[in-house]
Amino acid sequence: MLTEIEKKVIAAIQGDIPLEANPYEILAEGLGMEEEAFLGILKSLDEKKLIRRYGATLRHQKSGFSANAMVAWKAPEEKIQEIGETMAGFEAVSHCYRRDPKPGWPYNLYTMVHARSQDSCRDIVGQMAQKTGLSDYSMLFSIRELKKTSMRYFETE
Amino acid sequence: MDDLDKKLLNSIQSGFPICSRPYAAIGEMLDMDEAEVLERLKKLKASGIIRRIGGNFGPENLGYFSTLCAAKVPEEKLEVFTQTVNAYPGVTHNYVRENDWNVWFTFIEPSREVIARNLEEIAEKTGVTEILNLPATHVFKIRAKFSL
Repeated sequence: MLTEIEKKVIAAIQGDIPLEANPYEILAEGLGMEEEAFLGILKSLDEKKLIRRYGATLRHQKSGFSANAMVAWKAPEEKIQEIGETMAGFEAVSHCYRRDPKPGWPYNLYTMVHARSQDSCRDIVGQMAQKTGLSDYSMLFSIRELKKTSMRYFETE
Repeated sequence: MDDLDKKLLNSIQSGFPICSRPYAAIGEMLDMDEAEVLERLKKLKASGIIRRIGGNFGPENLGYFSTLCAAKVPEEKLEVFTQTVNAYPGVTHNYVRENDWNVWFTFIEPSREVIARNLEEIAEKTGVTEILNLPATHVFKIRAKFSL
C-alpha cells in the first residue's frame, strides 16, 4: 500500500520534471515539502521498483522510428512461453504480451514492432514468423493516432 | 541533432538521477557541464524529440488495472466514437489501425469493474457494440527506450 505522501510524489513526477538546475526543490515546494524529504521518498519508490522507467520519453516519429505495427499472433498455448520469450528478444519489439483469444478474434500473443519504415516492419515481422514457426498472424499498422498521453495517477484523490 | 545530443538522449531515457542537481550529475557522466545539458535538453524538448521527462509507472504496481480494447467502428461513427473514448482520462493511447477491428485503445482504471462499466457506457453512447476487452495475462516485454 502506498502512503498519501508517496502518492503525492508519484503525482508530482508523472508529468514533466522542470528543466531547471534544481527541479526537485521546485517540485517539493509545490507540495509544501523540503527537497530532502522529497528526494528520500523518490529514492524509496525507486528502490521498491515502483517506477518502471524514470527518464525521457521520446517521440519515435521524430527520432527516426516512424513506423509501428501491432502484430497479433496465434500461438500454440503449450509453446507460448518459449515463443513469447523469442519474440521479446527482438530489438524492434517494444512490448510483448499474452492475451486471451475472443470469439471472432483468435489471437493470443501481441507484439509492438517499431522500425524506420513499414517495409522494415514487415521484414522484421517476417523474421519473427520464421524464427518462431508461426504463420497465423495479423499485422495492424497504425493509420492515425487518435490519442497519446501518459496516465495521471492519484490526481483525483 | 549531433552526436552529443544522441549520447544525451541515450543516457537519460532511464535511471534519471535522483539527487539535488540531476542535470549536473548527467553532465558529469557525459563530460558536459550542467548549463550545456540543460540547454541541449531544452532544445530537444522544443523541437519535439523529447515528449516529456519524468516517471513512468506500471499501472499494476500502483494498484490500477490496464487493458487493451479493440472496436469495430463504422466510418460514419468514427468521430463520435473517438470523442467519447478519448474523453476518459484512463484512455492513454488510441489508434486507428488497418483491420476490421479498426480502433485500438488502452484503458487504465482503479479496477476491472470500472473498465467494464466504462466500456458498457461507451457502447450505449455510441451504438458501437463490438468492443473487445483484452487484458494481458502475461507480460513478456515492456521497453520504451530507443537507441539513437
